Amino acid sequence: MNIIKKPTWDIKASEVTPVELFNKRRTFIKLGAASLVASGALIEALAKDNIPVLNLQYLKDKNINNLKLNTYEQITTYNNFYEFTTSKKGVEDMAHTLKTDNWEIEIDGLVEKPMKIQLDDLTKNFSIEERIYRFRCVEGWSMVVPWNGFSLAGLIKFAKPLSSAKYIRFETKYDEEMFPDQSRGVFASVEYPYVEGLRMDEAMNELSFMATGLYGSNLPNQNGAPLRLVVPWKYGFKSIKSISKISFVDKEPLNTWQRANKREYGFFANVNPNVDHPRWSQKRERVLGKFLKQKTLMYNGYEKEVAHMYSGMDLRKFI
Amino acid sequence: MKRLLIYLILLSPLVLLSLQILIFENVVEPIKYIYTVTGATATVILFFTISISLIRKKINLIKYRRLIGLFGFFYALLHLMNFVVFDAEFDIIFIIKETIDKPFIYLGMTAFFILIFMTITSTKGLFKKYKKQHQFIYLALILATIHFVMAQKSISILQLFYIGMIFIIAYCKLLQKIVERNKS
Repeated sequence: MNIIKKPTWDIKASEVTPVELFNKRRTFIKLGAASLVASGALIEALAKDNIPVLNLQYLKDKNINNLKLNTYEQITTYNNFYEFTTSKKGVEDMAHTLKTDNWEIEIDGLVEKPMKIQLDDLTKNFSIEERIYRFRCVEGWSMVVPWNGFSLAGLIKFAKPLSSAKYIRFETKYDEEMFPDQSRGVFASVEYPYVEGLRMDEAMNELSFMATGLYGSNLPNQNGAPLRLVVPWKYGFKSIKSISKISFVDKEPLNTWQRANKREYGFFANVNPNVDHPRWSQKRERVLGKFLKQKTLMYNGYEKEVAHMYSGMDLRKFI
Repeated sequence: MKRLLIYLILLSPLVLLSLQILIFENVVEPIKYIYTVTGATATVILFFTISISLIRKKINLIKYRRLIGLFGFFYALLHLMNFVVFDAEFDIIFIIKETIDKPFIYLGMTAFFILIFMTITSTKGLFKKYKKQHQFIYLALILATIHFVMAQKSISILQLFYIGMIFIIAYCKLLQKIVERNKS
């Protein structure tokens, strides 16, 4: 029997707005908005949250778990991006040195045909969709982000890895002109280029996502423009930003934080309220914008989708 | 006049913190921010307190040393209260477990108990009796510094700057002790 399992973020074709109609609606909305300028209320409301003009067309996420989105401002002004600074509030002001035009992605390793490809040429192969995901940082804070992008599985199919490929390895761009901390040598916060990786089954999981935008607009630099990984059941540091290289390999990649401190950070980094970080508890989390904490969920609430990949593994050992 | 100025300066971090959280509401991660502000303020004040004798020829604040030190304790108390009230939400078992479990927390706690002892024995009468034991401030500051370093995910250039400042003060203090010893 062939049962097609519908993922939780799936949407019926009938609910998808055709592109022409979508554009018509957008024109209509723009006209409508223009006519409202006099009252100014909408413009003010838009300006208040600083959301740039929406430029992406995408399939909406139905948000069946009714997650409450963090604001655009919270998501884009509180970032961990050590290539700039360790100050989360400082990243936004510094991120302008990142230049994303003519961004090239290198795909190499155990693939049928290694290639260097312009990001635009890569992304045009995929239709953009929205994924509303929880995001939990290993430091103990969390948020809910409406990402835009495409599934990592789609990208992997496009890259055509060989069957000998067991892991996928990502690298953030290395460019000292763009990322000031990369030129600090021994005073750098971590070793560069930043490296992350996934086991092939994790990478092929329906949740694994390549983000090119959020809130319907292109990714702001501080959130890892122009292309980043999003793996919502893992601590945020796994969701590597500003990717310039994707390699298919047969050995487990040594990711940046594991290299920095093997005792505290592992390869898997699955969100787990029952296994503490050696220095702090992971039982609860501080949601950005809220005063009191909330309970952290196993696999960050994605147990149903991902737990089967880790059955039989000692989660205290494989951190 | 000097006393009023000291009050104004030392209360300003608390006033700013309260305004940001309660009035402007522009703090995205309030519990973390309270930790950072109260912890940093306590550490800076206490390092300043031990530096008062270093700068007494320029500005003599010896008379206000106790007051300034008590402010340091006050911010350390706010820091601990943030843990108990907002972070742990009075979950006593969690607090005890974390304190025993996590070196980062028990070092901070130990430093805090030293500060409690110093606060209690800071009255004129008791200070005479326990003057010698007040040297424990150095231990408290070493522990607080380790506690601060351990709270970071990794050490950045800014944190290296703080640590550098701490070493400079420690070096000056040591130099002062040696000079004093040679004099007597």
